[in-house]
Amino acid sequence: MMWRHIFDQLAQVVITMGGIAVILSIIGIFIFLVKEVAPLFFPPQGTPTGHFSGTPPPEALPQSSLVGMDEYQEILYQLTAGSDHQIRFFNARSGTPMTHDLPSGLAKAHITSIARAVGSGNRFAFGTDDGHIIPVTLEFAASYEEGARHIVPTVTLGSPVQLTSPKEQIIRLAYQPTERNTLAVAMTDQGRLWYSATSVATAPVALTGHGTEPVTALIFDSRGETLSIGTAGGNLYHYDVREGTQPKLIETTSVAPAGTSVTALSYLIGDRSLAIGTSAGDVSVWMPTRQAQESLTTRFRLIHQFDVHPSPVTWISPSLRDKGFITGDTQGNLFVHYSTSAQTLLKFPGNHQAIRTLTFSSKADGAVALTDRGELLTYAIHNPHPEITLATLFKLVWYEGYEGPEHVWQSSSGADDFEAKFGLLPLVFGTLKGTLYAMLVAVPLALLSAIYTSMFMHPDIRAKIKPTIEMMAALPTVILGFLAGLWLAPLLERIFPAMVAMTVALPASVAVTAILWQYLPATFIRRLRPGIESFVLLPVIIGTVWICLSLNQPIESFLFGADYKTWFATHWGLRYDQRNALIVGFAMGFAIVPIIFSISEEALSNVPRHLIAGSLALGATRWQTLVKLVLVSASPGIFSAMMIGFGRAIGETMIVLMATGNTPIMDWSLFNGFRTLSANIAVEIPEAPHGGTLYRILFLAAVLLFVFTFLINTVAEVIRQRLRTKYSQY
Amino acid sequence: MRTPFKKFLASGNVFIWGCAAGVSVSLLMVFGLLLLIMINGLGYFWTSDIVELTLKDQQHVTGQLAGREVIPRSVTPDRPEGRGRLRVKIGNRDLYGLDFKWVNDDQIVSQTYPADVVLLERREWGNMYGRIKALYKGETLLAAGNEGGWIALAPLISTTNALHQQITRIENIEIGSINAEIESARLKIRAFEMGNPSSPSPSTREGKEERSGPSGLLTTESTERGPIGNLEAQVADAESRYQQKTIELETLRAQFNEHSVVMVDANGREKQIPVGQIIRALRPNEMGLLHKSWTYLTNVWSVLSKEPREANTEGGIFPAIFGTVMMVIIMSLAVVPFGVLAALYLREYAKQGTSVRLVRIAVNNLAGVPSIVFGVFGLGFFIYAIGGTLDQLFFPERLPTPTFGTGGILWASLTLALLTVPVVIVATEEGLAAVPREFREGSLALGATKLETMIKVVIPCALPGILTGLILAMARAAGEVAPLMLTGVVKLAPSLPVDSSWPFFHFDRKFMHLGFHIYDVGFQSPNVEAAKPMVYITTLVLITVVVLLNFTAIILRNHLRKKYAGSVL
Repeated sequence: MMWRHIFDQLAQVVITMGGIAVILSIIGIFIFLVKEVAPLFFPPQGTPTGHFSGTPPPEALPQSSLVGMDEYQEILYQLTAGSDHQIRFFNARSGTPMTHDLPSGLAKAHITSIARAVGSGNRFAFGTDDGHIIPVTLEFAASYEEGARHIVPTVTLGSPVQLTSPKEQIIRLAYQPTERNTLAVAMTDQGRLWYSATSVATAPVALTGHGTEPVTALIFDSRGETLSIGTAGGNLYHYDVREGTQPKLIETTSVAPAGTSVTALSYLIGDRSLAIGTSAGDVSVWMPTRQAQESLTTRFRLIHQFDVHPSPVTWISPSLRDKGFITGDTQGNLFVHYSTSAQTLLKFPGNHQAIRTLTFSSKADGAVALTDRGELLTYAIHNPHPEITLATLFKLVWYEGYEGPEHVWQSSSGADDFEAKFGLLPLVFGTLKGTLYAMLVAVPLALLSAIYTSMFMHPDIRAKIKPTIEMMAALPTVILGFLAGLWLAPLLERIFPAMVAMTVALPASVAVTAILWQYLPATFIRRLRPGIESFVLLPVIIGTVWICLSLNQPIESFLFGADYKTWFATHWGLRYDQRNALIVGFAMGFAIVPIIFSISEEALSNVPRHLIAGSLALGATRWQTLVKLVLVSASPGIFSAMMIGFGRAIGETMIVLMATGNTPIMDWSLFNGFRTLSANIAVEIPEAPHGGTLYRILFLAAVLLFVFTFLINTVAEVIRQRLRTKYSQY
Repeated sequence: MRTPFKKFLASGNVFIWGCAAGVSVSLLMVFGLLLLIMINGLGYFWTSDIVELTLKDQQHVTGQLAGREVIPRSVTPDRPEGRGRLRVKIGNRDLYGLDFKWVNDDQIVSQTYPADVVLLERREWGNMYGRIKALYKGETLLAAGNEGGWIALAPLISTTNALHQQITRIENIEIGSINAEIESARLKIRAFEMGNPSSPSPSTREGKEERSGPSGLLTTESTERGPIGNLEAQVADAESRYQQKTIELETLRAQFNEHSVVMVDANGREKQIPVGQIIRALRPNEMGLLHKSWTYLTNVWSVLSKEPREANTEGGIFPAIFGTVMMVIIMSLAVVPFGVLAALYLREYAKQGTSVRLVRIAVNNLAGVPSIVFGVFGLGFFIYAIGGTLDQLFFPERLPTPTFGTGGILWASLTLALLTVPVVIVATEEGLAAVPREFREGSLALGATKLETMIKVVIPCALPGILTGLILAMARAAGEVAPLMLTGVVKLAPSLPVDSSWPFFHFDRKFMHLGFHIYDVGFQSPNVEAAKPMVYITTLVLITVVVLLNFTAIILRNHLRKKYAGSVL
């Protein structure tokens, strides 16, 4: 006897715990999804990690030092002008200098300037006091021994090239080796600018396009096609230096107010965006944009502006993996920026020692800077999703290569230097567009059917019809999607004119049938069960559709002249895609008809019968009773039915995936496709690496869908329950 | 005339007719859709006659008629309207590159159905239509001409089909199990090494030293070299058996491709094909109704029971049916206990109040959350979070190849269980609510505990409700595709989730699914036109499964309602 009660108590506990666990796990789904999304919006983190002493840079020379580190951030290096120890290596953790024998070629050289080639790999050039440049490559070989990593640096020298006359010192230098060409431009202590390229077999040429303005910054793009020169007057001069041609000045842009000089230039990865720092502390990104829609000429324009440094910007270093870059100023401040989102992400305050040069680590997770007094500062930066802000997700963003700010979704491409475009708005738009067209098809059909089934149909017939229509809800949507994409889309493309005719012909044929019906003998009509109308109409509708289809070509000639596609293209400027919004409207409408039908039918049938009887008894016609009484009192239920149908259409994946072209464009046109949030998840998540930015954004899309449908359904459910209590009062 | 018309409008009858039209259109859509799928799906199994068209340019077109239509204007804008054209399945993809051809009516001179045209169903390149020219064994001529060839061909095909079965068995089962043996031995070796990186035990140290030696391989005397040595010997043994099987296969393949047949099409183009490539040879124009009906049935059976061929566009859909069924079964095993538990709690144990009402609304609404969201959750939670952890704990030797850290049938089933748990909860609650109060009170009054009342009275009474919920959940799960795409469905699974190698059920395996098959074959295959029949058949099978499940649920529900109709209230 005891055991029975113990079991009973136990069961009580188990069922309660189990039940609560199941319910909690439902909440857990939401929490988990949010947890996966949250890191997108975590603020970036950064800490200064080290503070070591290196070689103080020679004061007088502007390009006298460069710093950097290897991929694993284990070794720091410093290149310094001078005649000995031009290259030094340090342990990045302890700051202890490492002994390393330099190639003998450097022993004889007196270095006066150093330039880093744009792009990946540690490629440099030294400029000497006798007009030579010496290419230098640093390599870091990693070897593994007993589980520990050892990194050994090697220095390789290229053969020196005579760039200017031996009497001139090179004090500014830009250098860019490409696959078949090596470019260099040098400014000498005499103020002259010499250009040389191995693809042009002439002696170095002097560049004079900038006039007498002092040159304050020089840079090539990584492909070696453009040379940009910044001056003390705040102007930027662009030379076209494509392979095999003489340099040609193509554009002059004023990028800073008069009296402010351009102090730092850097191309971001991809060579489209040029980051510019000025003596006023301004940091901005400029891009070549097309003047007009069809124009081929481009002009440099200011696209993004970033937080201003309190003192002149001294150096800019780009990230090698995204559109981020770091800047340093004369007070030692180091800022981290991101171009696409136009955000200054992090600010490391300085200690009033000017930053002479700095470098972003190759994985964009750290930085090293060199101060005036020769101190090496290292920083750790943690920012896995730099490009994501609410603004880049939902607002207009000016992307590279676009004529203006736009909403764009384009998550990946073949190229490494691609700017990912994560504008969710086109997808939200597509979701709403698909839902809207589906509702336009489904709501009239479902409501009319529900009204008729609940009000005018004999219960016996209703008992058969209702489950039949509800059975549609059980149809897997993949089947509807397949039929829409492979059967309906090509069919509709052929019979579109007949479709247009049907929109008029079908209601007309129904009206004609209604008129003719009343001339039938009353005794005959009385013998029929209510609900016969829908069966009488079956042959009428089939007949009308058949007539329209067989008259397809005459209708096309009559309505659209020759060809409806050309007609729409010329009259309304619309292009007809085979898989378009119309197809989705039909297929998804088909999918949500049973839901709307079922719920609104229930609402209509639950209107108390005695109210209807009262209305009819007072002499109202069936139609008047319906419009004035039944529809009014059931309207909350009908509204909630539409909400639930809406919620179902929003999240539908397979139909949209199969019945549209899945192009993320924003256009209300009936004749082109779109991409919805749900289809986008299905298309892109196989390519999204776990934990990456795209992965989290797709989770964000899922959260949006979850929240949206949950809210809609809750509102609908609450309305329905209220209605139920209201009716139960009668 | 004016007044009666006004009266007619005022009566609103025309609007009532409009409402009736809504019902008619809905009905037409449902039945039209079912009819469309049935005609297209069932028609595929029928072997229609082979037509031979002679065209004006003296060319011949041989094939099965696939349809006719009025030439659309987009094709011939300058032609007079109303002309027709025929769509002919010409097959012989290896000769023509196309499966279908349009033939305009006005090009056709004559249309005949010659009795001697042969249809070859092949393992590759689809059907072939033509006549037999010669039959060879190696280089020697066995039979020449259409009639002689036809008679000689039939026994050869049954021989090669038997050979083909044998080859497949060796490839899949015998060699497969040897491979599994090798793989598991290798994994054990790796696990051993990882488990004992610097083990002091002499036997393992010896093995380790041997491994790090220059050769890196153990050769003889392996029995003395500890567990690793034993395993290496096992591998070597399995590999030698593998070699034997390969040799055996070679001889079988040689036999398989020994005979060849030279076919000639109506225009005289010849093509030599090995008899091994032929599954079946038919002369549809000679076949009577009975023969065709028999062929129809065998066609149905072969689609339901065979593996897919030619990038899923031909052959059968058995793995997809099997995968769907397996997935639904695993899902049911997961969803019933949890759904019933939650419903019991909500209806019988929890204190009814606002919070329970809110929970009920939340559960209800979860059913309306898009299925892709569940897929995303399944990917993030089951695969990466749980699967990734399982891999690190139990299968570290296989990393970085994931075992449970990638999509599989278990994760897909659990994801769908989550998706369908609201259905089960709601239906079970409904079932529980329909059990009259008096039953419970009677049971309790007779001295039973609450648990006993539940188990012996309430749950048996609510069983139809629970079953209804389960069946509806199964029907929903069978048709869902989007979440599966993220959690483990594939276009072509190399092996079924259940097979003869230990532990028989492979929950980590990827699987095929009818719904995904439709998407994949219809939208991802290179030759959509040729794949369409397969898509229709798959659709037909899927629809049959779903509709049957739904009908069962409806019948059960009605049964439930009737049973308690008298006693409620």
